[in-house]
Amino acid sequence: MALIETKDLTKIYELGWNKKVIGLNQVNLQIEEGEIFGILGPNGSGKTTCLKLLLGVLFPTSGEALIMGKGPLDVNMKKHVGFLPENPYYYDYLTGPELLKFYGRLFDLSPAEINNRTARLLEMVGLAGAKRLSLRHYSKGMLERIGLAASLINDPKILVLDEPTTGLDPIGCKETRDLLLQLNQQGKTILLSSHFLSEVERVCSRIAIFHRGNLIEQGTLKELIGQYQANTLEDLFVKSIEKFDQQHPA
Amino acid sequence: MKKSWIIALNTFHESLRKKTLYIVLVFGLVVIGASRLFSFLTAQEELKMIQDVSFSAIEFFGALIAIFGSLGAISSEIEKRTIYTLLSKPITRPHFVIGKFIGQKLILLINFVLLCLFFIGLLLFKKSMPNVEIFKALFLIYVELLLISSITLALATFTSDAFNIIFSFFLYIVGHLTSYGRQLLERTENIILKGLGDMLYTLVPNYENFAIRDKVVVGVPVSWQYVGKTTAYGIIYIVIAILIGIYFFQKREV
Repeated sequence: MALIETKDLTKIYELGWNKKVIGLNQVNLQIEEGEIFGILGPNGSGKTTCLKLLLGVLFPTSGEALIMGKGPLDVNMKKHVGFLPENPYYYDYLTGPELLKFYGRLFDLSPAEINNRTARLLEMVGLAGAKRLSLRHYSKGMLERIGLAASLINDPKILVLDEPTTGLDPIGCKETRDLLLQLNQQGKTILLSSHFLSEVERVCSRIAIFHRGNLIEQGTLKELIGQYQANTLEDLFVKSIEKFDQQHPA
Repeated sequence: MKKSWIIALNTFHESLRKKTLYIVLVFGLVVIGASRLFSFLTAQEELKMIQDVSFSAIEFFGALIAIFGSLGAISSEIEKRTIYTLLSKPITRPHFVIGKFIGQKLILLINFVLLCLFFIGLLLFKKSMPNVEIFKALFLIYVELLLISSITLALATFTSDAFNIIFSFFLYIVGHLTSYGRQLLERTENIILKGLGDMLYTLVPNYENFAIRDKVVVGVPVSWQYVGKTTAYGIIYIVIAILIGIYFFQKREV
């Protein structure tokens, strides 16, 4: 059984009187345990919609989204999931440790566990020196790092990351990539959405390409590059989107 | 319940940062303090005036704090997108709504207690020991404020801030006028108008039920039975407001 699965997952946004936009169109994804799975796609292709549906922030128009065989609103399932949203915003009057404590308490962690994990995670994301700084004084990159730490407070089996390197400098990007590979080696399954092709190329074992709400391709990088006779991921990305546009004119 | 309490404490800390609430609180304290200006009256009349002005100020400024405090409790989480992270944690949407309700009630309690302490301090300064009737009046004002805050928060789960603020103030005013409206409608023979009036009287909480201050100021005692009944009346509306809030937020996409 796949760890993360969507079955004909569809989301249609109703934008007022008789105006509808397809956010996601009958998407079928299967992500196995231990994978780093990358979702690629241009802006507005449905990547974030897919993640929000998996986490129960949005409700599907039809179809199913399952994590560990459970629906998105299952509280027990959520105990095993860590989530980093795109451009994360947090309660800006809290400090980094206070934020982790707040989220840790929602996972029923004991105060001792929270303290241990907070110290370790802040060290891991390079924010140990900013313990007393409130989040309103954080830079974009620091917010991304504290977001990553917050997504790991429950030591999750599954990590869902939406554009995890947005706002990070090249060194921050590399550190995050290394961290993702390290977390994957520890057994965590990672689902990440990104439009940084090089990032996906370096860390993901399988990828899916989304375009105009449709899942147009999924497989290993090697399979897809062979299928499209592409030279690079960028080449594959462009060719797959062009092919879809030719077959399905807007 | 534990998860709701964690969210409530976070909401409480967040509200403590809102400057609007402090401004309203300071205005309330100033108005209560200004009631001392009636020192040209006889001692007995001055005390009545202090009580009257203070009860009105506590209720009015308390209502402002209840409405403004509850107004952005949910919309700010959505606008700032903090809700995405929160809902991905092992909590249910009812946990979130109940947490927000409790958090707002805590902030309201702190502000209310400060206003009351100032009022009682003023009475003691005038060498007048507050009697139990004053505490009954204050208690019912607090129940009224809880209800106002609950209604605003329930509306916040499915309406915009602009609509919410207008509707909450509208309900606050109408809620104080329903008794008069009913008396007027009793004189009409139009069945439809009478029916509509009865429906409105049932749907909109009658805030005048909580206003026993006029009696307290002139020294008319209010029974504990009345206080108990009115509290139960308020609690019923509060529970309905919470349930409405939960119902709509469970359907809301954020």
